[in-house]
Amino acid sequence: MKYHLKVGEEASEIEVLSPENPQSLRVTMEDKGSDVSFQRVSENCLWVVADGKATRAFVAQVDDGAHVFLAGRCYLVQDADRLSLRGPRHGVHEETPREVTPPMPSVVVRILVSEGAVVKKGQGLVVVTAMKMETTLVAPYDGKVKKINAAINQKVAPGDILVEIEEEVPAND
Amino acid sequence: MFKKVLIANRGEIAVRIMRTCREMGIGTVAVYSEVDARALHVLEADEAVALGESEPLKSYLHIEKIINAAKRTGAEAVHPGYGFLAENPNFAEACEDSGLTFVGPPGRVIRDLGNKTTARRIMTSAGVPVIPGMMEATQDLERLVHEAKIIGYPVLVKAVAGGGGKGMRVVFEDQAMREACVSAMSEAEKAFGDGSLYLEKHLESPRHVEFQILADRNGSVVHLFERECSIQRRHQKIIEETPSPVMTASLREAMGKAAVSAAKAAGYVNAGTVEFLLDRAGSFYFLEVNTRLQVEHPVTEMTTGLDLVREQLHIAAGDSLRFRQDELLQRGHAIECRVYAEDPEQSFFPSPGKVLLHCEPAGPGIRNDCGIYEGFRVPVEYDPIIGKVIAYGETREASRRRMIRALENYAILGIRTTIPYLIDILKSHEFTAGDLCTDFIERHFQGWRQSMEDADRAKIAYIIHDLASSVKASTTQKSLRRPTPWETLGDWRL
Repeated sequence: MKYHLKVGEEASEIEVLSPENPQSLRVTMEDKGSDVSFQRVSENCLWVVADGKATRAFVAQVDDGAHVFLAGRCYLVQDADRLSLRGPRHGVHEETPREVTPPMPSVVVRILVSEGAVVKKGQGLVVVTAMKMETTLVAPYDGKVKKINAAINQKVAPGDILVEIEEEVPAND
Repeated sequence: MFKKVLIANRGEIAVRIMRTCREMGIGTVAVYSEVDARALHVLEADEAVALGESEPLKSYLHIEKIINAAKRTGAEAVHPGYGFLAENPNFAEACEDSGLTFVGPPGRVIRDLGNKTTARRIMTSAGVPVIPGMMEATQDLERLVHEAKIIGYPVLVKAVAGGGGKGMRVVFEDQAMREACVSAMSEAEKAFGDGSLYLEKHLESPRHVEFQILADRNGSVVHLFERECSIQRRHQKIIEETPSPVMTASLREAMGKAAVSAAKAAGYVNAGTVEFLLDRAGSFYFLEVNTRLQVEHPVTEMTTGLDLVREQLHIAAGDSLRFRQDELLQRGHAIECRVYAEDPEQSFFPSPGKVLLHCEPAGPGIRNDCGIYEGFRVPVEYDPIIGKVIAYGETREASRRRMIRALENYAILGIRTTIPYLIDILKSHEFTAGDLCTDFIERHFQGWRQSMEDADRAKIAYIIHDLASSVKASTTQKSLRRPTPWETLGDWRL
């Protein structure tokens, strides 16, 4: 069986042979095969020996993938086969968000533009605060502010479009 | 000694204070907001009083509610921890007015020192060197822009009521000054209820070196040596240590003396911290006095063998200092790393949520002061600090290596934390060499990304976990049946 996994910007296809064996696997990643033996220590804890190196790994499913902790590093592993079942909203992180929406539940503290304003890509539009830190949401592209759907002190969540921007289409010379 | 103390705080610091109270046979009262009903500090306390809504102004910053909670439970003293009301002079006075002992300095001292410009004037008159800049604060934008020109860029914009980096901005040029001031004012207004700002000359790559002091009600003051807290992100300390790698016996004596003079000039009582900036030439300048227990106090405890909360309670109860300066000794080296619920790969955006796994570090010389547990939901309403790991070693290098080992074993899942980032800082050549400055992060760790070195192993671990969870089989039709014990057990031998 095959897995399509992504960590950060790196996506790879991994072929798993003998998935029914409870103590070892053979995986092939980019034509490189490795034998992996393991023990499941507890629901979230694994003991994994790959390429002769033993590590304790901790794994837990989260909203947008799985957190995997290995020797002080924590990776978000995203499984394409799973994410596709959940609709595009939970997809893999885009490089630059196309929508002006807070990355997490927060409160609006300042609105820096008004409807009808012409904005440049990267220009600050709305300042939100979460866990006592202020973050400025910026324009994803050049354009004109069509509508502002936020008010000061309003609680907002990811997915709420705070500022709608009509994208400026570059003129063809 | 008090029979019962109310801890007007949450998170790791409330838990830490309760531990000492318990060891001293003092009863503890926790206070909590709606979202914190199952927080660790509530579970640790002997009694807990609900304050109401989660918004800080309606709970942890609500003076009347906290004082009522203390009276209702029969607490004799209130320990404010750090943050929230810890440096609010009105709170200290309200406690005293209600017949409660405030574990900290008198309201008047907090007011004087909390006003950063008053503090600068007190220090100047006591002969303690201060950083060039404004001696009074203002909310007048034009005035700030004008003063910045006089002082000369770069300038540091600071909230007069500030602390913990809130309401603070470094400004390098005239054009950026207004927006920086507006944003700092707004942050300061919200964090401290006072948006007034003042300016200081921004020093080039200084070190942050602070002295822990203890003062009793009879005017005796001692210092408990220095802490170097130069590793800062957004003006928030993230790694602290003692001794400072550049400290010499003569510099320690000079700075310690200045710290004690500063405390005496302010009429200080209880535990406090006198912060200095130390420049490349070895000159030091007064920065501010923190009139509370510091986040980083454990490194002092590890190297002096003292419990600062215990000393605070003794002083608050009216006892004289239990040691003289010449009886104090520091031994070995300690480093503290602050662990935040933030995603270092998403520009340190807060990462609240449910803790799905919490496997704490342990072993020789390791202390973990932490306010979370497995199953706890880290709320979005408060500061993202979830705990601090402290590593003690006989030398700096021993404590650095010990810290790396501890953090590599500190697994937290469900929320993102700054642990991978801290490890890379500790492993860096510059940190190892002790070559620190307050712009260390900007210089060496700007745009940091986590190494992908272990990404393939992480994918393999994910697959094993996924196969074992066997959810995948049912959702994607890939056939996988978990063998029953009857198939895997093998032959019986009787």
